Amino acid sequence: MLQFKLVLLGDSSVGKSSIVHRFVKDSFDEFRESTIGAAFLSQTIKIEDKGSQQEVVIKFEIWDTAGQERYKSLAPMYYRNANAALVVYDVTQQDSLAKAQGWVNELKTKVGEDDLVICLVGNKLDLCTEEGESSSKPKAVESSDAEGYANEQGLLFHEVSAKTGEGVKQVFQSIGEKLYEFKKHELANSKGRQGAGGDTVNVQLQRPSTNDATSCCG
Amino acid sequence: MYTTERRPSMAERRPTIVAMSAQSVVPHLAGIEDPLPDTTPEKVDVLIVGTGMVESVLAAALSWQGSSVLHIDRNDHYGDSSATLTVDQIKKWVNSVNQGLFSGCYDNAKLYVSTSIGNHNGKYASRDFGIDLAPKVLFAKSDLLSILVRSRVHQYLEFQSLSNFHTFENDNFEKLTNTKQEIFTDQKLPLMTKRNLMKFIKFVLNWEEQPEVWKPYADTPLCDLLVEKFRLEKAQVFELMFSIGLCYNMQTKTPEALQRIRRYLSSFDVYGPFSVLYSKYGGPGELSQGFCRSAAVGGATYKLNETLTSYDPNTKMALFGDGSQVYVTEKVVASPSQAPKDSRNIPNQKYEVHRLTCVVEKSCEQWFSEGESAAVIVFPPGSLKSGNVEVVQAFILGSGSEICPGGTSVWYLSTMQQGSRAEMDLDAALEAMEASLIRESSTDLEHDDSLVQFGPNGETLINSVRLGQSFKQYVPRERIQFLLKLYYTQYTSTPPFNVVDPSFFDINNIDGNGKLIPGASDNGVLYTAMPSGEISYDEVVTAVRVLYEKIVGSDDDFFDLDFEDEDEAPMNKADYENAIEDDEDVDMNVGRHESAEFVGEMEI
Ligand SMILES: Cc1cc2nc3c(=O)[nH]c(=O)nc-3n(C[C@H](O)[C@H](O)[C@H](O)COP(=O)(O)OP(=O)(O)OC[C@H]3O[C@@H](n4cnc5c(N)ncnc54)[C@H](O)[C@@H]3O)c2cc1C
Ligand SMILES: Nc1nc2c(ncn2[C@@H]2O[C@H](COP(=O)(O)OP(=O)(O)OP(=O)(O)O)[C@@H](O)[C@H]2O)c(=O)[nH]1
Ligand SMILES: [Mg+2]
Repeated sequence: MLQFKLVLLGDSSVGKSSIVHRFVKDSFDEFRESTIGAAFLSQTIKIEDKGSQQEVVIKFEIWDTAGQERYKSLAPMYYRNANAALVVYDVTQQDSLAKAQGWVNELKTKVGEDDLVICLVGNKLDLCTEEGESSSKPKAVESSDAEGYANEQGLLFHEVSAKTGEGVKQVFQSIGEKLYEFKKHELANSKGRQGAGGDTVNVQLQRPSTNDATSCCG
Repeated sequence: MYTTERRPSMAERRPTIVAMSAQSVVPHLAGIEDPLPDTTPEKVDVLIVGTGMVESVLAAALSWQGSSVLHIDRNDHYGDSSATLTVDQIKKWVNSVNQGLFSGCYDNAKLYVSTSIGNHNGKYASRDFGIDLAPKVLFAKSDLLSILVRSRVHQYLEFQSLSNFHTFENDNFEKLTNTKQEIFTDQKLPLMTKRNLMKFIKFVLNWEEQPEVWKPYADTPLCDLLVEKFRLEKAQVFELMFSIGLCYNMQTKTPEALQRIRRYLSSFDVYGPFSVLYSKYGGPGELSQGFCRSAAVGGATYKLNETLTSYDPNTKMALFGDGSQVYVTEKVVASPSQAPKDSRNIPNQKYEVHRLTCVVEKSCEQWFSEGESAAVIVFPPGSLKSGNVEVVQAFILGSGSEICPGGTSVWYLSTMQQGSRAEMDLDAALEAMEASLIRESSTDLEHDDSLVQFGPNGETLINSVRLGQSFKQYVPRERIQFLLKLYYTQYTSTPPFNVVDPSFFDINNIDGNGKLIPGASDNGVLYTAMPSGEISYDEVVTAVRVLYEKIVGSDDDFFDLDFEDEDEAPMNKADYENAIEDDEDVDMNVGRHESAEFVGEMEI
């Protein structure tokens, strides 16, 4: 199983957490509180290897912002080793695309990985559909504007609704496929290459090997 | 607009003193239909200034307890006096030190950076490096580790083991024999010494219960007890006191030294055959970020690039550099390194810690155990050319720790020696390390079997014993390439071996009998202690607990977190794919709790 770290970015209340909750738990909550939940969630998807027709399982480890984005105070730890980023804006908020663009720039300077997959996501599409309720809002961000920008910057682009679930699965599916493409390439290239110090072993703190701390010398 | 109400936050839902008084406002939960103002919240329970290790753990403890916390830092990065910095950030920091921006906390910073770092065409980038200002190691059985697990902050971090402790003696590096097995198989140890050593190790594991052995030595240095009672030789005494105990000098008193020796031994084999861990990508700087994130999960608000200008304990208003202000219902806590201008209440930071940090263009793998990327080298009193009285400790990290690129390593040297001779000691230690590295890595020597492969008794020399071979007549052809060299003096109010004394925090306690200093911008501010020279994290939790108790009134619910998912039943297979990360841990909660509890009760 391949595992990827995915981070969420975008201004407050654009629906970052809602998108994740739709994806992970397939639920939506009108009264979602501003994220204090660091939401360190995970979810797996299956994609198909185009060559071998084999199924590949991909696991996303999803990091939500825990509200630290409010004053642009995200820690390097948040970005570190991220394989993918969802940059979210609200299609009913005029200025939220500009802000998303700011986050894309931030991301490019902070992560600077060539193989980081960035996906621009316009959320709350349900608010602008004709058959919506009286609360229906005009679409403030044109799809073509956002898509044009995404193409220019080499980003994936999707419009979704966390509320109805429309488009949410596809976001992660397309990110998964793109990451797999990279990964395949990388795996083929890195055959036999031993990363410097890459064989240092991590210790899992939640897994003590024994509680008998004196066994060495008792 | 489809909602004007939000669910109560974690902070609001937790029944606490603050919440019950119904005064707590969780600032950023303001109605979502209003765009959030780009100013600081108007009212908080606690304002914390500086995101160093102690402040960050405190922020997490308080926000999980239910207090609303505003946590600011004047830098554009987390960590403050325990930050992990890139080379460019180090340059900036050195400038600030030399401009006196941290008066009383740091001085005498000297920096050399090779042209191979940065400069567009340099071999390395500034951000290939993560240099800690106050590097630390983590004992496997310690209260900080228990809190890392309990708060789940460890999930944001990665840890690696460090098992190689070398003692430098007679121009040689001796590797620590720290297990029963190693003691028995060590061919160089006479049988009698082995027996005495085992006797001591048995004793030290529950030394408090045998006052008849140590009480007569309670006020004398430990070496007296070791020599007179346990008949140990100098080599073992040094190993016990300085490599295992990580004491700073020969005068270390019996109880303190015993405590420290036991700390090492009881940490052994908790996670494997080693006692000490360190975090990948950086030490306290990384842990600070983790605790800040946890605090944010608990509801704290974060704002970097923000300075505290002043606090008035009468109006309870704190003013910030950007002109905003906040009403603080409980306390303002600040690191001395981020004290407001015109502060008059900073406690005296009278103890010096001298540090020398180098980035070396050598992997230093030969100093590490297999599968590891770190080592500690201790230079006991009198072992250096400089005739050092205090120990010099060197903490070496290789590229496996991801704080430096492949083929390089970072050497953190420090000493508690006060005054100007400290730098001579640091230089002497550096020279000894450099010399041994040159001998060790020289290609000439590698081809000469008679020199390297066998010791005087015919035993194969492995690992650090090999690196220590003394070839006084050997003239090195190549010199070690230094990519960075940084000297600085750091000041702290924490004396060696002592953790923060609670009375320390009364100095500026206006609620008590303290008085306001007219014109001071920091009356009523509670100052934290700067990191001490202690190589482990041991002081941190005690310091936080003391502050926590000052603010909350008791430490009963200190990191008493009941994650709601912990009592959920494990899911069935079908649900498994949709499981949130934490649920995967459910079935091991029992074991984890036990160990966390166990660790939590350990005293420093
Ligand atoms: C919009 C939103 C609403 C949420 N509402 C709730 C809620 O009503 N109840 C709930 O238990 N969790 C809530 N959470 C928290 C969320 O479920 C956790 O962040 C998630 O379980 C991931 O936990 P973790 O352990 O991987 O995260 P970590 O960052 O590793 O740890 C956080 C832990 O703290 C706990 N936690 C985090 N935030 C809250 C919170 N707001 N209230 C209570 N506990 C929290 C969770 O049990 C979680 O395990 C909410 C999160 C979001 C984004
Ligand atoms: N109608 C509609 N509302 C949505 C949608 N997605 C999110 N919302 C609502 O928008 C609000 C904000 O959503 P969140 O998911 O908390 O937004 P966020 O970006 O995580 O916000 P912060 O955590 O504050 O950064 C909530 O009230 C959601 O119910 C959507 O697709 N349609
Ligand atoms: Mg959110």
